[in-house]
Amino acid sequence: MKLRNETMKTIIFDIERNSFVDGPGIRTTVFFKGCNLKCKWCHNPESQNREKEILFYKNKCTWCGRCSELTVDDEHFLCFNDAKEICGKEYTVDEVFAEVIKDKAFYETSGGGVTFSGGECMLQIDLLLEMLKKCKENGIHTAVDTAGHIPWESFEKILPFTDLFLYDIKAMNEEIHKEYTGVTNTCILENLKKLLKSNVDVWVRIPIVPDVNDTEEEMKNIKAFFESYGYPAKIELLPYHAMGEHKYEALGKSVEKFDVPDKEKIEKLKNIVVPY
Amino acid sequence: MTDRIAELTKLTLEGKMFAEMTATEFDREDIFLSKQEMESKRLCEHILNQKPVLTQYQKMTGFFLCRNGIVVGDAFHRQGHKAWEEMRKDFYLKNIDNLSTLEWQHATADYKKVLEKGIKGIIAEIDDSLKLHTEKEEQEFLSALKNVAETLIKWAHKCSEKALEMSEQTDIPEYRSNLKTLSEALKNVPENKPSSFYEAVLAIYVCFSADPDSVGTLDRYLNPFYEKDLKEGKLTRDEAKEYLQELFLMLQAATHIANGNFTRGGESHFCIGGYLPDGSDGFCDLSKLILEALIDLPTWIPQVTLRWTKKTPKEVFRFALDCERKDPNKRIAFQNDEKRLKCYTEICGFPFEKAVGYTTVGCNEPAFLGAITGSNSKINFARCIETLFHKKSEKIINTKDFDEFYSVFLEEMFSDLETAYEYDNKYNRMRAKDINYLSSIFFQGCIEKARSLTQGAGDVVIASPMYIGIANVIDSLIIVKQFVFDEKIITMAELVSALKADWQGYEELHALILKKGDFFGNDTDRSNYVAQKLYQSLYEFLKDKTNLFGYHWLIGDLIGYNPHHKWFGEKMEATPDGRHKCDSLKFGLGQSEGKDRNGLTALLNSIAKVDPNAIGCGSTVTNLMIDEQLVKNEENFEKTVDMLETYFKNGGVHFQLTYVSKEDLINAKATPDDYKNLRVRVSGFSDYFVKLNEAIQDDIIKRTTQK
Repeated sequence: MKLRNETMKTIIFDIERNSFVDGPGIRTTVFFKGCNLKCKWCHNPESQNREKEILFYKNKCTWCGRCSELTVDDEHFLCFNDAKEICGKEYTVDEVFAEVIKDKAFYETSGGGVTFSGGECMLQIDLLLEMLKKCKENGIHTAVDTAGHIPWESFEKILPFTDLFLYDIKAMNEEIHKEYTGVTNTCILENLKKLLKSNVDVWVRIPIVPDVNDTEEEMKNIKAFFESYGYPAKIELLPYHAMGEHKYEALGKSVEKFDVPDKEKIEKLKNIVVPY
Repeated sequence: MTDRIAELTKLTLEGKMFAEMTATEFDREDIFLSKQEMESKRLCEHILNQKPVLTQYQKMTGFFLCRNGIVVGDAFHRQGHKAWEEMRKDFYLKNIDNLSTLEWQHATADYKKVLEKGIKGIIAEIDDSLKLHTEKEEQEFLSALKNVAETLIKWAHKCSEKALEMSEQTDIPEYRSNLKTLSEALKNVPENKPSSFYEAVLAIYVCFSADPDSVGTLDRYLNPFYEKDLKEGKLTRDEAKEYLQELFLMLQAATHIANGNFTRGGESHFCIGGYLPDGSDGFCDLSKLILEALIDLPTWIPQVTLRWTKKTPKEVFRFALDCERKDPNKRIAFQNDEKRLKCYTEICGFPFEKAVGYTTVGCNEPAFLGAITGSNSKINFARCIETLFHKKSEKIINTKDFDEFYSVFLEEMFSDLETAYEYDNKYNRMRAKDINYLSSIFFQGCIEKARSLTQGAGDVVIASPMYIGIANVIDSLIIVKQFVFDEKIITMAELVSALKADWQGYEELHALILKKGDFFGNDTDRSNYVAQKLYQSLYEFLKDKTNLFGYHWLIGDLIGYNPHHKWFGEKMEATPDGRHKCDSLKFGLGQSEGKDRNGLTALLNSIAKVDPNAIGCGSTVTNLMIDEQLVKNEENFEKTVDMLETYFKNGGVHFQLTYVSKEDLINAKATPDDYKNLRVRVSGFSDYFVKLNEAIQDDIIKRTTQK
């Protein structure tokens, strides 16, 4: 069954134009809400829950009480102190496309395009498929940023319309993976093997989180994986940063603290896993 | 940098290369002569009485100044322009009805002509014109030009003798030889056509005295000499660079060190690259060398603009942006030829081969080689909004839809513009009472028409008053459309009451507007629609309008050195864009106060699309503030290059960059001693942040830094 564009809606928590970090060239990144991993270092905790949420920054609140009856669907609500904000807005495929197409000229000059990210955008595969198709029909380079804990059938659906996968390896050690993300990495690595075999471009991104996966052993295992199943077009190491911490509090969630890795360490790890 | 240039740089930065003026005693019986005879006679005597700046390090000399107010000066400097001086006392920096204010004009001499025929050739033109113009005043004017032109030749000969004397005083063989070469060359130029690249640069060096402002399209008129000498093996690239640097140092030295403008690039500004008359892109090896020569020098003046065309290779654009990011003194800006030439050919009606001769002068005012910028006023464009909401609110309170409101607005806006343009004409009429003998030799049309530069002699000139507050007007219209008509959040009556109360008692509405306003720069359908509608109206209003001299009216939006945006704003009531009573207005379209929330591509799209007719190709500046991180990393820098190229492809007219964080600026204002070297782009010129007046500092702090 194919749903029509107009009726399919999803919750998007941000559309970021002029992104330099989510793939080649200048890109627009569409952040889906909802994720099936719960990485303890996640810097976008507001992306985990699929539903709209209210973020509450207590330190900015003056207790004026205007928001006492606020619900997540109250679109016109405005907190004058920026203490409360509603995270997530419903978008149809066409509405997302209308934003993405605005920077087409920038994509063309720079070899950029659109990146669907999240959360886990592949959880809403039918809608994602429609968005990808629409972008491809209009000559826009498409990237899908995924954690990969998704049935392979979903990958098969979108492969013909996806130019690039941004794919995370969060840990090779299964126990560590399970402990820190909530799921095992079996399905993730199996999918990655298949992707590396297909014709699509893959960039692998490795978050480096001190005392979790910042070991030479991890990097060596990743390297061994690539040697067996093929190297992706690009490998990026993403050092952990603490810039998402305040959002945990705003969501009423407890935050796990990690150190920020130093530059030399990143360089050292990079030299192990990156083959040039 | 060679040792010689290093020495000259040191002397320049110490202020020792400034051409101090020697006072001249004039014959008191001069007053029995006619005005033109007397003024030109005294000018000639002043010139010949000057002493050339000469040290053993020089291979060029011959720059002089006439800024003592006793002689009629060059076109650039105010002193000596007696009628203008009289007007200045009452109108410069003193606005009329908070609508119009007088400004000075920049210009650039026709150096191409000097290099093609020498002053001798120009004198022959004057002789021809003398046969055609028989009226007494015309005859007197042309005779005056001839006398001054002949005096310039004599001046060069005097400099030649001094150079020879100096050569005999130096023991260093290289310097002695340089000075001898200089002495010989001054016997030939600027009198005759230069015989080499060196002589060509020297001719400009001397003639710059006639209009010490902009060297215009330097790369294109020097290039034939450069290519010929290189080909014939008479010149190396390094030698050419040295000559260019000596010229640039003189441009820096032309401003006195004690003058606050000594560190402001806008004192002298020129262009490289851009379309040539045959439609090819003119960026050549010499253009590149000009950038290299300039960036090597630790000076502030001149500043240079790259004219980009669709044919400009990416590596050229990247090279210029790379020089720009590495230049601590912020001397490089960028113009889009596609948009400007559309304006100059389609709206102004200039033939393509003349239109391509534009350059930017001063703070980015466009002028053509051998012409002046034709307007001399700044307009408070936002006054009409204030009038509607505070004085004539009965006209808008019952408007039924946005279109009806907009037509009432247009009536008020056009009425203001008519008045403001009439003032611009009055300023020009007053200025026409001053006659420029020196500059008119080197300006197009003056000799043929036997009329001074100040009297509208130019044949390719545009008149672009600068509109202050365009973004305030656009945003005010958007808020009315969004809040009153589209979303019906408030009535017009409520908005009027809120503005009359300066938002007091309407704090929630004010906050709502600031946070939810669909402001310009966010690339949304509504904000783009309103902005484009306004520019379309301006285009239709102005497309067939010219000033008293027949120069086409265009629109600009820069402010120059003075904070007119503050002076206009502090006398104004609140406006619908969330502006409070007495707040400064905005200049330019680059948004501020975080009103552009959708990122840099959204802002660039909004600006690039606002004016498809190109009526805004007057004195227009787009200041972009970018986080330094974007250009520190090579990969990001490449993307920034792509982004800015796309902006031009989409129709952006101009941009210049400042890389700094808001925190730095706030700290710099609070503790200026710690930020003495922080250099920023202001309004077409760059300067040290801590030297700017508070209103301009505040404006820069409010600009949105894009990440």
